[in-house]
Amino acid sequence: MAQISSVAQPHMQQIDLTTLNIQQLSTLKSQLDNELNLFQESLSSLKIAQTKFQNSGETLGQINSESEGKEILVPLTGSMYVPGKLYDTNNVLIDIGTRYYVEKDLDAAKDYFKRKTQFLTEQMEKVQVLGFEKSKIRDAIVEIIELKLQQQKSS
Amino acid sequence: MCEEVQRKLQSELDSFKNTQKELQKIVLTRQQLDGQLNENEIVKVELDSLATDAKVFKSVGPVLIKTELAEAKQNVTKRMDYISKEIKRIDDQIAVLEKKQDNHRESLQKLQHQFQQAQVKAAMQA
Repeated sequence: MAQISSVAQPHMQQIDLTTLNIQQLSTLKSQLDNELNLFQESLSSLKIAQTKFQNSGETLGQINSESEGKEILVPLTGSMYVPGKLYDTNNVLIDIGTRYYVEKDLDAAKDYFKRKTQFLTEQMEKVQVLGFEKSKIRDAIVEIIELKLQQQKSS
Repeated sequence: MCEEVQRKLQSELDSFKNTQKELQKIVLTRQQLDGQLNENEIVKVELDSLATDAKVFKSVGPVLIKTELAEAKQNVTKRMDYISKEIKRIDDQIAVLEKKQDNHRESLQKLQHQFQQAQVKAAMQA
């Protein structure tokens, strides 16, 4: 797939933006706009996923071996609950994706959520760096389009 | 002459748009597969980091069924292989469609040119 980057890369062709005509430039601009939108969407879904992991991690903090035998209300549906007792509070089941669940003890579970949160932070940083670079290119293109439009007017 | 070119132009434009739609659809499929592959990779890493006696469950509908760790690993690896193959297949299709689209675009430009010339000619004759 076509990529746009301000950093020179071996498999890419370097194009002087000023040599392109207005139509080409606006195509490029809309392509970049699309990509920037995609980045924005990715960032917000990453943020949502991260919040979920953080919440799970915090919930874990309230469970310890003393919680065993305590009463809880288990939701059967969104509006109906039945009483239950906590059992085996040293282990929890974690959804690791693709319908697989793993039993972990509390420390391992906490570590799991910490790792996941950190992983997502790294991914978000990557997307932010990319987005920043692309928006710089977009600004440059907008500037050149305006320049060209002015030239057209004055000539 | 003018009408004939216009008709050709229209049919070429239609097939160009069709190819474009097909391409969009297939690119979407490719993205979904990519996501699935990613998810499986993450699960594989997690499974690999587990002790051999770890308890693993698989959700089948509303119930959790206990699985052997080795079996789970095998299953995920198999799925990753399958998805990778699918991605390769889709990539080939994308390449074919992109070429088709380029061809259509080229002939479209040619036809547009012809159409303009025909119009000029018609205008001169009138």
